[in-house]
Amino acid sequence: MTGPRMPRAKAMRAEMKRREARRKQFMISGAVIGVVIIVVVVLVVVKVAGGGNGKSAAATAASSSVVSQITTVPASTLEKAGDGGTTKPNKVTGQPPLTANGKPELFYFGAEWCPFCAAQRWPMAVALSRFGTLSNLSQTHSAKNDGDIPTLSFHGSTYTSKYLTFTPIESQDVNHNTLDTPTAEQQKLVNTLDTPQFVGGDSAGSIPFITYGNQFASSGSSFNPSVLSGKSHDEIAKDIHNGSGDIGKNVNGAANVITATICQMTKNQPSNVCTAPAVQKIESSLGAG
Amino acid sequence: MRAERTAAADARAASEHRAAPRWAMPITLLLSLIGLGVSIYLTIEHYNGNSGLACPESSTVNCAKVTTSPESVIAGIPVAVLGLPFFVAMVAANLPQSWRLDVPWLRLARVVATCVGMVFVLYLVYVELFKVSAICLWCTSVHIITFLLLVTILLAEAFRET
Repeated sequence: MTGPRMPRAKAMRAEMKRREARRKQFMISGAVIGVVIIVVVVLVVVKVAGGGNGKSAAATAASSSVVSQITTVPASTLEKAGDGGTTKPNKVTGQPPLTANGKPELFYFGAEWCPFCAAQRWPMAVALSRFGTLSNLSQTHSAKNDGDIPTLSFHGSTYTSKYLTFTPIESQDVNHNTLDTPTAEQQKLVNTLDTPQFVGGDSAGSIPFITYGNQFASSGSSFNPSVLSGKSHDEIAKDIHNGSGDIGKNVNGAANVITATICQMTKNQPSNVCTAPAVQKIESSLGAG
Repeated sequence: MRAERTAAADARAASEHRAAPRWAMPITLLLSLIGLGVSIYLTIEHYNGNSGLACPESSTVNCAKVTTSPESVIAGIPVAVLGLPFFVAMVAANLPQSWRLDVPWLRLARVVATCVGMVFVLYLVYVELFKVSAICLWCTSVHIITFLLLVTILLAEAFRET
């Protein structure tokens, strides 16, 4: 009686073992899949909730397509933009020329959280690229509670030109943490020139502050930052490159104004840039041509 | 004695040969082939400068921003290129012949490869959300395919018939 029962019992035990093994396998598979789903959900929730602490995302290196589009805007596209109806810098008098490395110096003072700086960096990048090479740009947005305007950052960037020196200071990052600390001389420059006497009463004391070799100075942006609102960096770069819509008109117009002002610093060098009709027209309106 | 030998032999045979469910092979092969196709497309676009990448653009969705970001290259190798060997291996591992082979090391390799692929996908999702702040739809399709591969392969192993 016991002989024939033993194999059946063994088979049953084997079957139970198999069932147990399968149950374990299901549990392990379910756990793995569950962990994956939970990780993705947590990542998305943290992102949607604004990084968990309400802070804006830090700047990242600018994409090559964005850099390529804004540093190679065709001359014909810029020519069409004219001044785009953008504001022009004020003439500075009674100040010593600002130079660095034996060249006239363009000094910029801004911050990554600032929406007006966000707007102004686009035309600055376009204009500076006509006189030299701008590298290591970052891309970011102004602070979420300050327009969330897509922009570039000059923090960590480098600029090479035989015509001028560009010195950018991004004093704070998008979350108002200290980024670049100005030297005492640079701070004195800001304190002196970012005043009603030199940049006009409306925007005095605000940023971005720019001095063009102490021949011209501006405070605030050349156009309304809301033009850029809700757009991606690539969309903005494409519109700039093609001169399309309000972005093309405002950014390229402001770029021409900045170009004309730089031409004043460089004594109209290089000539192929500074003799462009749109640039010359703006130069004459700057009152120093 | 004869009955005992037969039962033991059956148990051994059952533990040695556990056939995968029939749905596993076509689903995993199809997913692997789609993944390979998308990886080839992304690799070609990577070397063409992403100029023709068919992808809508908004402040959230932006394929070019993701695929040209500094994070799109790991140890000098573009992420798009890293997807190629993964999906080539998955196509090979999910061919009908591979499923029929049913050798333990191949089954283990299939599971481990998809788990490693999934961990890498989670890292890429993190990078998209927090480093680049943009989503690439083509990359997301690869992420979903990898996830579905993981689910299918794990369930196929759990459902193996005895």
